[in-house]
Amino acid sequence: MNEINTDNIKSQMRKGVLEYCILSILNNNDAYASSLIAELKDAKMIVVEGTLYPLLTRQKNQGLLNYRWEESQQGPPRKYYSITERGRELLAEMDSAWAEIVETIALIRNNKK
Amino acid sequence: MKKVVTVGIGGRSFVIDEDAYQRLSLYLTRFKERTKMGVQSGDVMEDLEQRISELFTEALGSRLEVVNINMVNNVISQLGMPDGGTMDEDFGVRDDYAGTGTVKKLFRDPDNKSLGGVCSGLALYLNTDVVLLRVLFVIALFMGGVGFWAYIIFWIVAPMAYTAAQKCEMRGLPVTAENLRKFSNYK
Repeated sequence: MNEINTDNIKSQMRKGVLEYCILSILNNNDAYASSLIAELKDAKMIVVEGTLYPLLTRQKNQGLLNYRWEESQQGPPRKYYSITERGRELLAEMDSAWAEIVETIALIRNNKK
Repeated sequence: MKKVVTVGIGGRSFVIDEDAYQRLSLYLTRFKERTKMGVQSGDVMEDLEQRISELFTEALGSRLEVVNINMVNNVISQLGMPDGGTMDEDFGVRDDYAGTGTVKKLFRDPDNKSLGGVCSGLALYLNTDVVLLRVLFVIALFMGGVGFWAYIIFWIVAPMAYTAAQKCEMRGLPVTAENLRKFSNYK
């Protein structure tokens, strides 16, 4: 029972920062869905891939992302996602919010001692 | 030996076992429902299908030619549902829904009509023979015209079953992907 709870908390935490992660990855370089997934899986940010697709579409509809079709050597063209100007602005805000959270947590944990 | 189906997924064509095909199309239907995005789910499904086609291509390699149920199940567990859950966890919910969703509704049947589809619709609703109903209506027409007015009122009150979903409801069938396909105009 206890273990289920911690798992749940962990997954809630990951969910909260997943959108932030997507923007961060795309800020470094454009990526197509599968490589984005590989990166997030390596970082243990997602467990099942299905959660990512609705997020990508939502961010695209919000004007944070864009995509283009690119030819690939094997198989049909792939969809490459890239971050937009608006996405960068939001990312900058998220960066400072994240830094703030980390700082606050550190402060709280140090106080405990 | 198994029957196979040819499908296009994410711009590639695959030959797929029939049982695997059923499973996959159920998965896609549920995934679409659980994105809760309605008509906007097009982009999501496009991405998803592209990924599925990649995974199938990988799994097939150069040895195999037919996608089987194991590959489909692997892909389903790898991709999961949009809310992070698994595909089968809502089986119970779906079954409940199917149980309560089989209420028959009175429609006029456009596929089997001779005038307004009233008799054919009523026959499906009452589980009787359409010819019998037509004869009764014609007899009633000659006995004071009650049949005439009853027919007109039914014509006005009962809607025509245009969509595949309405055709399912008309027959008292649950509105599932399979049943919808039966009554769909695009085959």
